[in-house]
Amino acid sequence: MSAAAVARADPQPGASQASQILAENCLACHSPAKHKGELVLSSRDSALKGGKNGPALVPGKAADSLLARALAPGAEPHMPPKGQLSDADIATVRAWVDSGAAWDDAVFAAASQSEGPVTLRALPAAYQPVLAIALSPDQKRLAAGRGAEVLLFDLQAPERAVIMRLTTANEPVYSLAWSADGKWLAAGGYRKVRVWDLQSANPVLELAGLNGRVGALTFVPGMPVLVAGDGDSASDGKVRQWHVPDGTALAGWRAHADAILSLQVSGDGKTIVTGGADKRVNVWDREKGTSIASLEGHAAHVTALAINADATKVASAGADKEVKVWDLKTKEKVASGPNHPAGVTALAWAEGGKKLLSASEDGIVRLSAVGTEGNVEKAFAPSGDVLHCLAISADGKTIYGGCQDGQVYAWPAAGSAVEKKLGTAAAIDNAAKDTLSFPNDVLPALSRAGCNAGVCHAKPAGQAGFKLSVFAYDPRSDYRAIVKEVRGRRVFPASPEHSLLLAKPSMSVEHGGGLRLKRSSDTYKLLVRWIEQGMPYGPPNDPTLVAVEVSPREQRYPKKARQPLALRGKYSDGSTREVTNLADFSSNEKSVATVDETGVVVVGDTPGEAVVLARYMGMVDVSRVTVPADSVLPDSFYASLPTNNYIDRLVYDRLKTLGLSPSELCTDAEFLRRASLDAIGVLPTPEQARGFLADPDPQKRNKLIDRLLENSGAYGDHWAGKWADLLRPNPFRAGVKSVYVLDQWLRESFRQNKPFDQFAREIVTARGSTHRDGPVVVFRDRREPPDITTLLSQVFLGVRMECAKCHHHPNEKWSQEDFYQLAAYFGPLKRKGQGISAPISGEAEFVWFAPGGGEVKHPLTGAVMKPKALDGPAESIDPKRDPREALAAWMTRPDNPFFARATVNRVWGELMGRGVVHPVDDFRASNPPTNGPLLDALAKDFVDHGYDLKHVVRTIMRSRTYQLSSVPNATNAADTRNFSRWYRRRPSGEVLMDAVSEVTGVREKLQGMPPDAPGVRAWNYRIDSDFLDAFSRPNASADPPCEREAEGTVVQALHLMNSEALSKRIADPAGRAAALAKSDKPPGEVVTELYLAAYCRFPTAEELSLAAGAFSAPGATRQSATEDVVWALINSAEFVFNH
Amino acid sequence: MSEPLYNCEGTPRRDFLKLGLGAFMGLGFVDLLRSRAHAAEAARAAGGASPSKVNCILLWLDGGPSHYETFDPKPDAPTDIRGELKPIKTAVPGTCFAEVIPRLAGIADKFTVIRSVCHHDPNHGGGNHYMMTGAPTPVPVGCGAFVTFHPSYGSVVSWSRGVTNGMPAYMTMPEMSRSGGPNFLGAKHAPFVVDGYPNSPAFRVRDVTLPKEIAGGREVSRRKLRESLDRLSRSADAAAQDPACGFDSHYQQAFDLVSSKQAQEAFDISKEPEAVRAMYGRNDFGQRLLLARRLVEAGVSFVTCYSGGWDHHTNLFKSYKGNKVGDLDKGLSALIVDLDRRGLLESTLVFCLGEFSRTPKINKDGGRDHWPHAMSILAAGAGVPRGHVIGATDAKGYYASENVHSPEDFAATLYTKMGVDPTQHLHANAGRPVQLVAGGRPIPGLFA
Repeated sequence: MSAAAVARADPQPGASQASQILAENCLACHSPAKHKGELVLSSRDSALKGGKNGPALVPGKAADSLLARALAPGAEPHMPPKGQLSDADIATVRAWVDSGAAWDDAVFAAASQSEGPVTLRALPAAYQPVLAIALSPDQKRLAAGRGAEVLLFDLQAPERAVIMRLTTANEPVYSLAWSADGKWLAAGGYRKVRVWDLQSANPVLELAGLNGRVGALTFVPGMPVLVAGDGDSASDGKVRQWHVPDGTALAGWRAHADAILSLQVSGDGKTIVTGGADKRVNVWDREKGTSIASLEGHAAHVTALAINADATKVASAGADKEVKVWDLKTKEKVASGPNHPAGVTALAWAEGGKKLLSASEDGIVRLSAVGTEGNVEKAFAPSGDVLHCLAISADGKTIYGGCQDGQVYAWPAAGSAVEKKLGTAAAIDNAAKDTLSFPNDVLPALSRAGCNAGVCHAKPAGQAGFKLSVFAYDPRSDYRAIVKEVRGRRVFPASPEHSLLLAKPSMSVEHGGGLRLKRSSDTYKLLVRWIEQGMPYGPPNDPTLVAVEVSPREQRYPKKARQPLALRGKYSDGSTREVTNLADFSSNEKSVATVDETGVVVVGDTPGEAVVLARYMGMVDVSRVTVPADSVLPDSFYASLPTNNYIDRLVYDRLKTLGLSPSELCTDAEFLRRASLDAIGVLPTPEQARGFLADPDPQKRNKLIDRLLENSGAYGDHWAGKWADLLRPNPFRAGVKSVYVLDQWLRESFRQNKPFDQFAREIVTARGSTHRDGPVVVFRDRREPPDITTLLSQVFLGVRMECAKCHHHPNEKWSQEDFYQLAAYFGPLKRKGQGISAPISGEAEFVWFAPGGGEVKHPLTGAVMKPKALDGPAESIDPKRDPREALAAWMTRPDNPFFARATVNRVWGELMGRGVVHPVDDFRASNPPTNGPLLDALAKDFVDHGYDLKHVVRTIMRSRTYQLSSVPNATNAADTRNFSRWYRRRPSGEVLMDAVSEVTGVREKLQGMPPDAPGVRAWNYRIDSDFLDAFSRPNASADPPCEREAEGTVVQALHLMNSEALSKRIADPAGRAAALAKSDKPPGEVVTELYLAAYCRFPTAEELSLAAGAFSAPGATRQSATEDVVWALINSAEFVFNH
Repeated sequence: MSEPLYNCEGTPRRDFLKLGLGAFMGLGFVDLLRSRAHAAEAARAAGGASPSKVNCILLWLDGGPSHYETFDPKPDAPTDIRGELKPIKTAVPGTCFAEVIPRLAGIADKFTVIRSVCHHDPNHGGGNHYMMTGAPTPVPVGCGAFVTFHPSYGSVVSWSRGVTNGMPAYMTMPEMSRSGGPNFLGAKHAPFVVDGYPNSPAFRVRDVTLPKEIAGGREVSRRKLRESLDRLSRSADAAAQDPACGFDSHYQQAFDLVSSKQAQEAFDISKEPEAVRAMYGRNDFGQRLLLARRLVEAGVSFVTCYSGGWDHHTNLFKSYKGNKVGDLDKGLSALIVDLDRRGLLESTLVFCLGEFSRTPKINKDGGRDHWPHAMSILAAGAGVPRGHVIGATDAKGYYASENVHSPEDFAATLYTKMGVDPTQHLHANAGRPVQLVAGGRPIPGLFA
C-alpha cells in the first residue's frame, strides 16, 4: 500500500487499516481477474454480492459476515487458506464490519497491481540487458533491445556501429520484429507494442492494452500482420494480432494460463506455435484462432521455440534445460536435443534443419545434432554472462547472441571464438556507498522469509520453476535465478514493486507459498531498494560471513526467566553486524526453555539444561541454558553415595547440579537378567539364576560380568549384530554371498575382541574381493566416495555429514568443502567387476584396489579436492599410496577428537539405553553431551586400554550407575538423560526371540539356518520371520545404518498373545512346559522353575499361590496349566522389557 | 542404533511422527466399527464419502499385466502386435476389452479405466517402486532388486491415519509387494502380512485371532492369570517415559480386538454366505479379495492384494486364456459388484495395476516383454466416475498419447481420494525434507 493511501482521511475509523488487511491477505485470489470462489473483494458492492458461498459481507454484523467468520482458526472454509491472521488483525476486521464496513477504495486500488496504472522509471544504469535481437530481412542491420532502448547496428560497416537509437517510455524491450520489407521495426515492451518507421525513425504505432510483458513478437511472413504474445503471472497469456501500419486489431485469443514467453509463425503463415510460463507448447490455427494441439512435456517455462523451414517440426526448450522436437503433423515428440547445464533461452535451426543452435543461461551457444540425446557438437566461446536471445544470419555464417551484460556477441559459425562484441557493456556503479549486497543483505532477507527452505523454492526441483539453493549455500546461482533467468522475469526495475520477486511473496499476485512478505515490512523495502539500485551483487571487496556469535553463551537462569539473545555476524574484513532479527532460533529441550523467533529465551518450570541453537546463513552458534533444581541436595549427600568406579563420581557431579538423587541399586535377579541380556543377548537358565542368587560372594556381580564377557562366542554374535546394523549392505543389491562374508568377518572380529582401532582401520582401508574379504563388502554398495564418506563418518566419527553433501549442514559448521575433502580420501579407490545392476542373488564378485588414480571434485566449484580430515591438517599424500591409510591413521590417533568418543558413546548407549550424546551418532555443537566429563573420561580410558571394547563394556557394567534400579524415586522420575536411574527398554527382536525360545524350550526355526541356531546368529534380514517383523529389524532394502524401531506396537502384543506358531512351541512335547508337566514336581515347583526361567527370580508367596491356582482351575490339566503360566509370563512387561 | 533427533526445521522427529496419529486414537475398536458403519451410511446419504473415511483395496498384479490383453485391445494393429485375443464389447458403448475379461466387461459401467499412465522404468525393481510409492528410484535398480527409497501408499495412509486401536491400518495379502514397505516412516507402518490360503477351511488370519487350542474359554482364564502375574512396577509419571505403560495400552487394544465378536467375524471368512464366496471364486485369489472387503468394512484403511506371476515373457496367450486371468476377472468383478451392492463402493477406492505393461511386438517365445510407456489401470469407487475411459494410447498401443499421466499423478489421485495431502513434506531419517508426491496432479477424470 502506498503512503499516500494511508495519509488520506479515513472514511471510517479503522477502514483504512481493515482494508489494508483484506487487500494484503485476500485480494490476490479474490481479485476481479482471479475471482476465486466467484468472490471479488476489491469493492464493497462485490463483497456484498458475495460468491459461491453467498454474501461475504453483512455490514454491522461481523458474526454473520463470511469474510470475518472465515478468518477464525478452525473455521470452515478457513481463510487465508495457507495462513492464519493474527488475533489483532481479526479483531480489527470484525470491529470494522460491526461498524459498517466502509471500504477504503484507494487502498484496494493501490493493492491491485495487475490492473492499476504503472508509472515506469528509468532503468538503472547497471541493468541494461539485451533481451531481444532481430536481423533485418536484408541481413544488413541488427536490432537489439538493450534496456529500454532499441539499437540498430550496421552490420556492413567495419565496426558494425550503432546507426540508430529508438527509445521507449522507460519500457524494457522484451521482443523485436522486422516487417518483411524491412520498413518497420516493432518492439514489445510492458503492456505496449511500439512500431517505428525506420526510414524516418519515427514511431508510427503504439499498441496499448496488453497484459504484462510482451514476451514474443513477430510479423507473419509476407503479410503486414504483427503477432504478439503477452501475459504475466497474474493473468493469462494472450495471442494478439494487428494489421500494420493501421493498427487494426485482428483475431486474438487466450493462449496460456500464464505469460507467453515465445511465439513463432510457420513460413506459410497458417500456424502459430506458442510457449508459455505454464510449461505448455500450444499450436494454433492463426486465422481461426483455434487450438490444434497442446504439447505437454516440459517441466518448466518454455522460453524458446523454433519451427523448421518446411514447418514439419518445432523445437522447444526452456527453463527445464531440455530440448524437445515435435512433429507438427502427429503432435508427437520425435526427438530430444541434448540437455543443457542451464536454462535454454533461444533456439534456431541450422545447417538446413539438421542441427539446432541453442543459447543458454550459462552464456554459451551450442550446436547439436537433432535426435541424438546429449550430443553437443560444438560449444562456442562463452559470452560474458547469461544469453537471452539468439539470431543466425540467413547465409548461416554468423551467429549473434544478446547478453545480460548489455552487449551483442557475434561468432563465426565456422569458428568458435567470439568475433565481435556489439555495443557497450552496462556500467556497474559500485561507487555508491549505500550499495546493497546480495549475499549479505538480500539473501538473508529471503532466507528469513522462508523462500529457500527445503520445502519451498529450495526443493531439488525448485517450486513453480523458481529454484533457490537450500539455506543459500550457492549465492551465485541464487543471484542468477532471481536476476537473470527466464529473461529476467522475476525482477522489474522499471517499477520494482511489480517484480515477481516482491509481488508473489506479498500476495499481490497469487502465491502458492502464501504471504511471506508484508508490503509494510523492512524486508520488502530493502528488496525494493536493491532492485532500484539495479540489483548489484555486492560492492567491491564485499566481506564474507565467517562466523556468528551468540550472547550470552552460557548462563544459569531461575525458573520463568526471560532472556533476549543477541547474534552477531563476523565478517572477513573484521567487521561485525547484528543479525538477530534475521536469524533462526530453536531450543533442543522445550520443557526447560523455549525461544521465540526474535531470539527471546523463556525459561519454564523444569530444572535441567537446554541448548538454544542460533542459525544464520549457514553458520551456527549455541547458547546453553542451565536451570538448577529448587531444592539442591547438600554436597555431603553426593559425597556419601557409594561408587564402584570413576563413572559414578562423574554421574553424581551431574546429578548434583540438577538436584537429582540416584535410584536404589537393582536386585541381584534384575542384575543377572539385565547383564546377561546386555552383554551377550542370552537369558540365563534357571540353574544359572539359582546359582547366582544363592552365591554369598560380595564380588559376585563383577565375577558374573567377567564370566559373561569370557563367553566370546555369544559376546561376538551379540555385538557383531549391532555393527552389522550399521555396516551390512542391502542383500538384495549386494548379494547374499557378500553379505555373508561380511557377517562372518564381523562375528570373528568381535569374538576375538579385536582392538577397535584395528577393526576400524581394516574397514577404512579395505581392499580385495567381496567374496573373500569381509571389510571390503562395506564398499560393495557404497561405490562413490561421497556414499562411503557419509557412512564411515557416521559410524566411526559420530558425525552426520549427509546434509553437507549437497549444502552447508544446517545445524553444524560442516561445509560442502569439508565433506568433499573427507571424501577425497576415497577418490583413488577403484574396483573391477560387474556393472550396477545385480541379479537377484547378486553373486558377482568385485575386487577393490587403491590407489587407482581417481579424484573427487567439489560439485559447485569443480575444484579437485585434496584429502583433509574434519578439523584436521591438510594432507600431502604420495600418489603411489592409498590415502585411506592416512585417514585411518588420523582417526586412530590417541588425540583424535571424534573416534574414541563416538565409539564409547555408542557402547554407553547400548548398555544404558541412551547415549551421553543422543542420538549416538549425531555429535555436533548444537547437540552437546549431557555429561561431557563422563564422555571424555570414558574415551580416555578406552584409548589408554588400547581401544579394548570389552574393557569399556566391563567398566560401564561394573559401575554402580549401570546397576541402578529402573524404578524412579521422588526426584528422578522426569530424568531421562542423566542416568540417575536405569532406563527400561525392550531387547532387540533377535534377543527377545531367543529369550522366548529359552523359556518355551523350543527354538523358532529360521529358514536357511541350522535347526538350533539362535536368532542373534541371523545374518540376513531377508530371513522370513513374523516374530522379527513384529519386533522390528532393519529394513533389508534400505541403506545402513538401519534404524530399529524401539517403540512397542499392538502387532507385537498380538503376536506374543496369539501367534499360532508360538502357541505350538509353548505346547511342544519337547518343550519346557511339557517336560515340567510330565515331571513329578508339585505345581509350586513348576511355577518356581518358570519364574527362574523367565524372570531369573523366585516368585513371591502371593505369585506362587496365584500361579499354582491355575493347576486347580476347572478343566485344567498339568500340561494346560503349565502352558498357561508360560504364556502369561511371556506376555508380561517383566519379560518383554529389560528392566 | 541410530535415531535422528531433529529435522531441518528443528522439529524433533518424534514429535513429527506423532503428528501423524489419527483422529481415532481415543476410540475403542467397537466404536471404530460403529463410526465406519456410520460413515458408510452418511456416504450413501450424501452420495459420496469424505476422504478421511475412504479405504482402499489395491490389487497388485506383480510382473506387469498387458494392456493389449486386458483393458486396451488393439484389433486393428498388425498381427504381431494385436495378438491372439479378440476384443469384446463392454457395458459402456464404444469401449472394448479383451475377450478374457468378460465379467469386467459386463460391469464396465461401474468403474473407470485409465489407459494412459506411463513412466520410463522397464525394470521390475524400479517399476515396482515407482508405481507402489509414486516416486522413481533415485538410482537405476535392476529387475531383481527389492528396494525402497520412499514410503509406499499403504504405509503413508497408516502414518497419516494412525494405527487405530488394535487394528493395523495397512494389511497386505499374502505377501508384501517389493516396495510396499514404510521406508523412513518406521516399522510400525509396515504392512501387516496376512499369509496363508483363505480358500482352505483351516484358514485363519494370523495373530489377530486366537489359536484354536485356546479359543473357547481358556483365553479368559489365561488373560486373568496374566493380569494377576504381570507385576513389574509402572511409573505413573508420564515424564518418566516408562515403556511398560505403552505396553499396557497395546495389550488392552489387542485384547479388545480379540474379544470383539464383530472384529473377529471380520477376519472369519467362513461367516460369508457360500453364494458370496462362490461369486468371488473359490480360489485363494478370489477369497483374498473377499477378505479384503471384510477388512475394509471392519476399518482397515488400506489392503493390498498381491498377485504374482504376471511377467509373461513366454506363452502369454495361453496364460491369459487360463485360470489366472479368469480368477482375476471373476474376483475383481465380484468385489466391485459386492461393494456396490453393500453401499460401500462410495467409501472404498479400488485400484488394479502392476508395475508396467508389456511390449507391443510379440516376441519369439510368444510373450511380451517389459513396456512402461503405456499401461492401463482400473479404478473404482470413492467418487471415481462410472463407465468412463480416461486417455488413450496411439493406434498401435505403443505410447500413451492422450491425457498422459505419470505415476506421480496416480499417487496424487490416490492420496487426495484418501484425504492425504500429496504436496505435504515428510522428513526422512537425517531430517531431509521429502515431498510426498513430487509434482503430480490428481487425475481430473477420476473426480466426478
